[in-house]
Amino acid sequence: MTSHPREGWSQRGARRRPLRSAGDVDGIAGAGTGSFGSRNAALGTRSSGMSRRDFMRMAAGGAALAGVGGLLGGCQRPGDADITIPLPRKNNPVRWPVFDDNEPIKSGLAPETGATLQIYNWVAYINQACIDGFCKKYKCKAQVTTFNTMSEAIAKIQTGELAFDVFFPTIDVLGPLVEGKLLRPLNHSYIPNIHQAWPDFLNPFYDLGWQYTVPYTIYTTGISWRKDLVDEDPYTMANPWAMPWNAKYRGKVAILDDYREAICLGLMKQGIFDLNTTDVHQINSSYNQLLELTDLVDVLIDNNDYTEIPSGQTWIHHAWSGDMAAAWEYMPSGVPVDVIGYWFPVDGRGPVANDAISVLKSGSNPVLAHLFLDYMLDLQNALTNIGFNGYMQPIEGVTAETLIDLKYLPKSLTSTVVLPSNFRTGVEELQLPNAANDAWELAWQQFGGGL
Amino acid sequence: MAVAPPAPTLSPPSRSAGAGAAAPQPSRKPAFRARMRARSAEDRIQSWRPRWFWASLAVPGAIWLLVFFVLPFYVVLSVAAGALDPIFQTPIPVWNPFQWSGASFANLFREASFLWPPFERTIVYTAIASALSLAIAYPVAYFVTRYAGKRKTLYLLLLISPFWVSYMMRMLAWIDLLQVGGYVNKVLEWLHLMNSKNPEGWLSGHASTVVLGLIYGYIPYLIIVLYAGLDRIDGRLLEASRDLGLGRWRTFWRVTVPLSRQTILAGMFITVLPMVGDYFTNQLLSATPRTTMIGNVIEGQLDIANLQGDGAAASMVLLALLLIPMIYYVRSTARASRENV
Repeated sequence: MTSHPREGWSQRGARRRPLRSAGDVDGIAGAGTGSFGSRNAALGTRSSGMSRRDFMRMAAGGAALAGVGGLLGGCQRPGDADITIPLPRKNNPVRWPVFDDNEPIKSGLAPETGATLQIYNWVAYINQACIDGFCKKYKCKAQVTTFNTMSEAIAKIQTGELAFDVFFPTIDVLGPLVEGKLLRPLNHSYIPNIHQAWPDFLNPFYDLGWQYTVPYTIYTTGISWRKDLVDEDPYTMANPWAMPWNAKYRGKVAILDDYREAICLGLMKQGIFDLNTTDVHQINSSYNQLLELTDLVDVLIDNNDYTEIPSGQTWIHHAWSGDMAAAWEYMPSGVPVDVIGYWFPVDGRGPVANDAISVLKSGSNPVLAHLFLDYMLDLQNALTNIGFNGYMQPIEGVTAETLIDLKYLPKSLTSTVVLPSNFRTGVEELQLPNAANDAWELAWQQFGGGL
Repeated sequence: MAVAPPAPTLSPPSRSAGAGAAAPQPSRKPAFRARMRARSAEDRIQSWRPRWFWASLAVPGAIWLLVFFVLPFYVVLSVAAGALDPIFQTPIPVWNPFQWSGASFANLFREASFLWPPFERTIVYTAIASALSLAIAYPVAYFVTRYAGKRKTLYLLLLISPFWVSYMMRMLAWIDLLQVGGYVNKVLEWLHLMNSKNPEGWLSGHASTVVLGLIYGYIPYLIIVLYAGLDRIDGRLLEASRDLGLGRWRTFWRVTVPLSRQTILAGMFITVLPMVGDYFTNQLLSATPRTTMIGNVIEGQLDIANLQGDGAAASMVLLALLLIPMIYYVRSTARASRENV
């Protein structure tokens, strides 16, 4: 391992910040008739003279929210109309349509010759050795272009002027990408290695029949801490999600700089595990929890969990498993790696997620793109990639034992390993209806503004 | 009754004439000839250069402004007043002003309740950082101008040397220095100003750390501007002040400082503007909600697709607010120019 994936990342590390699409605006608990139908609904409440913080603290009920709806109309931007795109859920799996003018490529085509495969990816999110290996095997060249946020990536793809072949989307943007005809449906005959993937990903709820995606990385969200500096052990705590709320560690606590993750933390602290809630009261209650966190510990907001915990700058950090799996590389000299701990619920009931790889319609090398997806699903190539990336891939044979044997992971951080069962017991943060997402964003903005 | 003008004389003015004596009128003929010679030279130049020649020299600058200021400005405005893509919820710029929407601006004013605290913080941090920057930069620039002698160039190079390192790298260096086990704490421990068992977490959300970062990041700009201005002060004015009996300090306060007023204003202007919009310093050196500045809020909005219009609107409003000191500066400069004439 010569370098690390997060070197050169955006400091905010906002790569998982989801962009949600337009969608169903109904169903927001407490909103009554659904008049709370855009972000402007929440914003409108401020004209009542009550400060937003007061409003959020009070978490006024449906009556207040219903009154808010009338203030909305004048604030909608052109194009703010809602277009119905299905919201995939475990109990509502989605099979995306294949459009007549965007069909899969034919089977049996030869790879493009003399081609340069255009890969559009997060910063430092793939091992160059994998790309080199692919180019050697298929006698082609490859060019990696990077982006820092999903919205930035989509904005550039939308222009239609950039002929990228392979793209690494988060699953919450699949709907808009498919409906916008930016993704090319896959021809499965080019991707036999899909059978190396965990069975859960052969027919994922977010893309039934894996028509547009194959799985890429997987990760959980938990709590990392310094065992030598923090007295508490989350594995013995009654409510480990409340671990950051401890005034004893003022200035030493950080949460992830991601509005979904942060608000989910506030929800889980209260025992709410509907991480796609549209209930504004629950969102408000989480917001209040975050405010309390600021009052208690002056919480930091960043995605530097993998450096701050090793350096001791923070002692408790809301963290991603993949980051912490790589944190041992950042240990200062003389500090043993086993002082770092990562907690994820033993029963697997916590946030779990995966990224995907897709073929873009705009690319000019669709066969090579398919073959690249297949290449990345091979166990050996996946292990090579994990060695650099830190983030696991859901491939048969990628286990804690393998990673420890390959010295990709210290034994003390085995808890960062994602298990196939996690995708059955865990909870996903998925695409939200517009109005609910607006409420989440609003709470996050207010919290971040430091009221 | 008309008074006849004095007859021109060909004789040169008497050098022996005292101050109070009526000075003889100088000959007008040589001056007239000189003017005529100059005019004929201008005519010769005009003869081979068209009338628009000199004005055309402003074209590259005008194109630069158009391409790199006016057009981007219009794009931001078009995003702020634009639409949202119904599928992707990404901003779509609307180029036709007649189709612009004020929704993002309306949102912004409704968001005032939570935009105000960061804005207030921005004003306070910027004011403190600017004042401290001036207190540091002015003596440095004054020293280099007046007392550096032959080493003036060397000192100037040293002062601008921070520009050779990227801003991000300089801030990352501060992270190393300020972290719990960093050199700042080690020095404080060595001086017995801090208990080693309870080290200070300078990066754990201190407003003072943010102000320090702002000063460090932007003070070279101020020093260079002050140096350029102080270096242009005519040394003979200072000598005259001393000759007329003012001491060093009074000369400084009554001659140097008033003469450098416009320079101070320009320097403050150049440092305050980027400080107000800065988000990176805060993000790296603090990252707590308690120190969030307006730049962080805007940056956060730009990170989320459907809030980018609001971020663009906030940028526009911030720009409008910054126009106030800008206009003051322009008027002040114009007034100073008139007074000098």
